[in-house]
Amino acid sequence: MTELETKIRAEAERLLTEHVVDVVIAFRQEDAPLHPQPAFFTRAEELESLTYNGLCANNLANYLTRYPQETRIGMVVRGCENRSVNALLVEKQHIRENLVLLGIPCEGILDWRRIVALTGENVLSVEEKDDSVIVHTHENTFELSRVELLHPSCQRCLHPNPISADVLLGEPKPEGDPTLMRLRIEELEKLTPTERNAWFKHEAERCIRCYACREACPMCYCTECFVDHTEPRWTESGVTPAGMQAWHIIRAFHQTGRCTSCGACERACPMDIQMTYLTDKLNLDMADAYQFEVGMDAETQPPFATLTLDDKNRFIAQGKRS
Amino acid sequence: MSTTPMKIALFQCRWCLYSPEDQAWVDNDLPENIHLVKVPCTGRIDPLFILNAVQGGADGVMISGCLPEKCHFKEGNLAARRQLAEFSQFLDYIGYAQDRVRFVWLDLQDRGRIQRELAAFESALEQLGPAQTLATRAPAATGGTHD
Amino acid sequence: MTYRLPKKDLDQTLRGWANQAEVFAPQKREGYAQFLPWEAGNELLLDEPHNTRFPPKAFFLPQSETLLTYNRKLSQLEMPALQISPRIIFGIRPCDARAVALLDTVFATQENPDPYWQARREQTILIGVGCNQPATTCFCTSVGSSPFAHAGLDALLIDLGEAYLVERFTERGEALFANLASADANDIEQAGNIQKQAEALLETAFITDNLKDHLDQIFDSSLWGEFAQSCLGCGICTFLCPTCFCFDIVDEAQRDERVRNWDTCMFRVYSLEASGHNPRPTRAERTRQRLMHKFSYWLEHADQFGCTGCGRCVRYCPVGLDIRAMIRKAVATPSEAVHVN
Repeated sequence: MTELETKIRAEAERLLTEHVVDVVIAFRQEDAPLHPQPAFFTRAEELESLTYNGLCANNLANYLTRYPQETRIGMVVRGCENRSVNALLVEKQHIRENLVLLGIPCEGILDWRRIVALTGENVLSVEEKDDSVIVHTHENTFELSRVELLHPSCQRCLHPNPISADVLLGEPKPEGDPTLMRLRIEELEKLTPTERNAWFKHEAERCIRCYACREACPMCYCTECFVDHTEPRWTESGVTPAGMQAWHIIRAFHQTGRCTSCGACERACPMDIQMTYLTDKLNLDMADAYQFEVGMDAETQPPFATLTLDDKNRFIAQGKRS
Repeated sequence: MSTTPMKIALFQCRWCLYSPEDQAWVDNDLPENIHLVKVPCTGRIDPLFILNAVQGGADGVMISGCLPEKCHFKEGNLAARRQLAEFSQFLDYIGYAQDRVRFVWLDLQDRGRIQRELAAFESALEQLGPAQTLATRAPAATGGTHD
Repeated sequence: MTYRLPKKDLDQTLRGWANQAEVFAPQKREGYAQFLPWEAGNELLLDEPHNTRFPPKAFFLPQSETLLTYNRKLSQLEMPALQISPRIIFGIRPCDARAVALLDTVFATQENPDPYWQARREQTILIGVGCNQPATTCFCTSVGSSPFAHAGLDALLIDLGEAYLVERFTERGEALFANLASADANDIEQAGNIQKQAEALLETAFITDNLKDHLDQIFDSSLWGEFAQSCLGCGICTFLCPTCFCFDIVDEAQRDERVRNWDTCMFRVYSLEASGHNPRPTRAERTRQRLMHKFSYWLEHADQFGCTGCGRCVRYCPVGLDIRAMIRKAVATPSEAVHVN
């Protein structure tokens, strides 16, 4: 048990024994060494199994929308998760007073795919030690550099520190470099439209429409997703180019002004599709055009939900970028 | 330059053409290569509509609506602007040129303007050539990429 | 009779096959192994501990398949020609081949054969490669199979190091491996040892005695709700599963095509009825359905588990749910103390 895990358990225990919350949402190390599971603790006795480590890859804010707003929830949140919670609060998906956010300044999530690419898939255990990650497989032990194993979204992370946690459990980490995300998008924008289109098609064509990206995303909580509309049927449901491309385009677009670039979608994808190049671009556009950043507070409406006559001169020019 | 007529999808807000002659022209005399979709307000236009047109083979999409203060439903066109402008930028990002999506915001005194805009748009599209990149639902026989 | 194929002759063997059929074999693309068309000189990925990411059921039940096209104006229907050219799937693992055989009990029945499945099945030969070193996520031995099982295969290769031991099970398998030298006693002994070692690596994932009856008895347990808490309700486990076969038929009205797509019981809309009623309203019912289908209902129609222990669902579940652990917990849940959900 690490020092951080001890702190988290202590807080969680207090929240449960003092009946401050009905459930504590955190992680638990179950059976798969590379995949801790989201866990839902309702009794203090269960907390022995609470885990927190760099392989905790899911955005826990995703589970908020499963609960009625009256449910009092204690939740472990890293930087992106805190912003996702804020984004959900902006959309009135829960009540802040019913949430206790246990903030964890984040060192970044380890991408299990990068681990297995280096060690093979027969991983028995993973141990984090300062800047290293020690991986034991059936055959070997590997000592890998943490920085190289970080998930790409974490490498580009701007805000590792939870901004509105009730309790901060750990030393704040330095803010991220805003140029990293922009650089990646700019590289894509330097390509010709044909090249960008080819890249887009390349990433979209191995999609298997499992919708893991959607289900892992805290902001995709629609009871009926646009892909399930039948009257009229805008999107094909199969793995045809039209269907897969429409899925990627529209899901990303529905995230405009809502996505915190947490990367949970990419981590969930079984086909290793790097779809954050779509949402990151939209986030940058919102920052550039409207000086808007998702989740920095729990009140500010995203640009598409803001109707203002102040806009009127932006869009009159035709055929030009706005 | 292309010899096949450019396929244009026109999303027209039903209030934006103030002149009955203009509306009659759109209703009855629209050239065959222009596909009309009338909407009660540009605010009704979901990016899905535009994507549907693009995937169906549209070489260009024109959206005609009312000026900011003139929306019949007060704020509908404001809702449209940000979303659809960003969507056209997003389509450009994935390879469908932004110049293929054109917005026309019409005023009370605009007469005969829709015809001119469409003609100008068609010209501009002819310079760009047929759109190939996202026409994944249009059969190959009509210039799309679906076989 | 078993035979021996020196590894240096493999390339030539595949070239020979390529004259009569399209050969598919596991190769690396996008960073992972996939069944791709093989061309001379391509590097094969035959000895990874785990199987391909995407299951080979797609060769027989494509994820999206046009069932018919129609012309509304003329009121005409057209069935696809279903001209499937011969294929040889080389390097399929015994768990995946067994899964194809299991799916034959669904799609290739006497009473009601599926012509789309049949057309592909008849034109496909499956040549397996045994798993000398199963992955930590494999559990084929717990569900009645083994890393060197024969079910569904036309032939099986066992990697001896410098050569493969070849076992031929069908006429088509014999034809593909004609004119091979017989395996000698050493080869056979070595293969036997390899098999024992491989099976020893596979721990028992769960006890299957009376599993079906027990699951039926704990149908109303609150256990399923526990699993469902973290489950995302995506389709990864079902789409990557080599035995899941549920499908949805839709009319793509904008293209005048009727299409069959893979469907998954994990989606809410899967069992959503037109009235709005949903007999599986929450993830608890849907998680239960998946486990019950694989380990109870399959036995009712095929007398075998609907799971071949391939491990894909374990490897790729985004929240780390492990079907083996879930069945163990189910086994440990007493059938007397059921709680109504």
